[in-house]
Amino acid sequence: MKARAGAARPVGVTRPRVETGSAAVADLGAPNVARPTMAQREALDRIDLSIDIAPQRGLVLPNPILVASGTFGYGVEYGEVVDVQRLGAICCKGTTLRPRAGNQPPRVTETPGGMLNSIGLQNPGVDAVIEKYGPIWQGWKVPVIVNIAGDSIEDYVEVARRLDGVPGVAGIELNISCPNVGKGGLQFAIDRDAARAVTAAVRRATELPLLVKLSPNVSDVRPIAKAIEDAGADAITAINTLSGLAVSSDRMRAFLGNTYGGLSGPAIKPVALRIVYEVAQVVSIPIVAIGGVTCLDDVLDFLACGAVAVQVGTAIFADPELLVRLGDELRLECLRRGLTSFKPLIGTALPKWAGAASAKGAEYRP
Amino acid sequence: MTMRLVAAELVESRQILPGQWLQSFHAPELATGSRAGQFVHVRTGDYSGLVLRRPFSINTADPATGIVTLHFRTVGRGTEWLTRVREGEQIDMLGPLGRPFEVDPRSHNLLLVAGGLGMAGVRMLADEAVRDGRQVTILFGALSASHVYPSSLLPDEVEYVVATDDGSLGHHGYVTELVPGYEAWADQAFACGPHPMLKRLAALAAGRRGRLGVAKLGRKRGGQTDPLGSTAARRKTFLQVSMEQTMGCAVGACLGCTVIGVNGMLRVCREGPVFAAEEISWEAIS
Repeated sequence: MKARAGAARPVGVTRPRVETGSAAVADLGAPNVARPTMAQREALDRIDLSIDIAPQRGLVLPNPILVASGTFGYGVEYGEVVDVQRLGAICCKGTTLRPRAGNQPPRVTETPGGMLNSIGLQNPGVDAVIEKYGPIWQGWKVPVIVNIAGDSIEDYVEVARRLDGVPGVAGIELNISCPNVGKGGLQFAIDRDAARAVTAAVRRATELPLLVKLSPNVSDVRPIAKAIEDAGADAITAINTLSGLAVSSDRMRAFLGNTYGGLSGPAIKPVALRIVYEVAQVVSIPIVAIGGVTCLDDVLDFLACGAVAVQVGTAIFADPELLVRLGDELRLECLRRGLTSFKPLIGTALPKWAGAASAKGAEYRP
Repeated sequence: MTMRLVAAELVESRQILPGQWLQSFHAPELATGSRAGQFVHVRTGDYSGLVLRRPFSINTADPATGIVTLHFRTVGRGTEWLTRVREGEQIDMLGPLGRPFEVDPRSHNLLLVAGGLGMAGVRMLADEAVRDGRQVTILFGALSASHVYPSSLLPDEVEYVVATDDGSLGHHGYVTELVPGYEAWADQAFACGPHPMLKRLAALAAGRRGRLGVAKLGRKRGGQTDPLGSTAARRKTFLQVSMEQTMGCAVGACLGCTVIGVNGMLRVCREGPVFAAEEISWEAIS
């Protein structure tokens, strides 16, 4: 299986090659991840992919490729197919104070270049998650960031409090933007003051590194991002899914049991890029980008727009090996460019002067 | 066998019925490690447009030749792409996935009930049962004679009874109407097909003991019954069904493919696709 891996790529899949204009590339020839020369391997090993996504408290990831919440369960489901120890971090399934049964099926459907889901935060509750997976996570060197959701500020605070100090929990990602449940917290993500309040309350409840996940379902995300930063978040995750709809094949009702679903996948990448680009210009805390990453080019795009790390979600379903491969390819890309770290790739596409058109406001919106 | 990513080479592809295809793949890892009822998650070629894999029941698996077959209907862009794959090309399969049918070692007479493409869900069980020396009857329901699965593709040892909705071949009516004639003969039943069909079969299975006059005598010694959903409990049940649901990851991570069970949500990919009929909350299934 391994030996045939090169020839085993699915039919018709063309994986975009990374084109780099650097002259240094030619000198190295075409480095091959599978069989680098000794010198190349030494150079590759010297490249530092680690990144601290919460500089105030310290959450150093071995590489900037994370798995997105909800697409990887609790890290154990993919078994031997994915070597979790080689990931940057795992964001686990959204966890609430009490168990939740989730939404009525059907819950997922494919859409052009993406998928709609409305799982509805099905999970066994924070206590069960800690009991069942805490010991497993403790034995891993990959950091596990627990994604938490709630109906009220008290819920968020209580979940965060219970996670505080649990061995194996490296951080908290605040899901204030789940579009699929009536009171799944979306109200916190669309209102600046509510976002500030919930972030500040959780900040007081825990010393764990705190990421807050933004919703794209707002007219302007920047004031909300700023409020979250002011309230003490260590980093911002952008973006959650876009609210969408699919129709049943008989055209008599909505397809999903919950009517609405969240759109993810390559279809939303431009939206995610735009939001990362905007947020990067108004906050100084790190941004973890998410939205439609399927290849190294997507990772580089997000880094260029100011993200320090990226999460991969929907693409895992088609290509579980992508997670590990992206890390390898990023290392190789650094080698090609003669870099010892990927950090110089961050923010290169951001406007170079204050007052650039993109930073002025909502000029492109209807 | 634990799941793995397998490069499966297409050996043969043919249309066996209008819009229905039978494809053979060389995938020794899957052919030896799979059991009836399990499925594979197939990656489609055009990732830019199709972001999800497609789940297919393993139709047959032959360890001797390393060949697994898939039987599917073209329903959309993913399955249309699959029909265009050429012989010799390799496609990416994740599998084997899900839990298989559980046959009680004491069961001699197996009733397999398939509706339309549901044949793909139970087809491999016929092979396993014949190999183990059991008697197999397949009841098959289709729209019309032109949609009936060819008997030449079934083992010779199998009794094959057909029902068509329009009466153009075999029994005129639903396949479920044939079941009462076999419920005394059958030790266990296994079904795959549209959810209304499975729902009707579950209702029939629930009343079977009463109709046959089988008394449930006393309490089981030891007082312990196997927990619902366990392999042991499934093995003892009369009816097992293979369910279908739109699927995301197929490994139990995304919780997308749930059906409603009597004790809460069940993942078709992980707790299923085969369930004991008693595990499913049938009133919630339409």
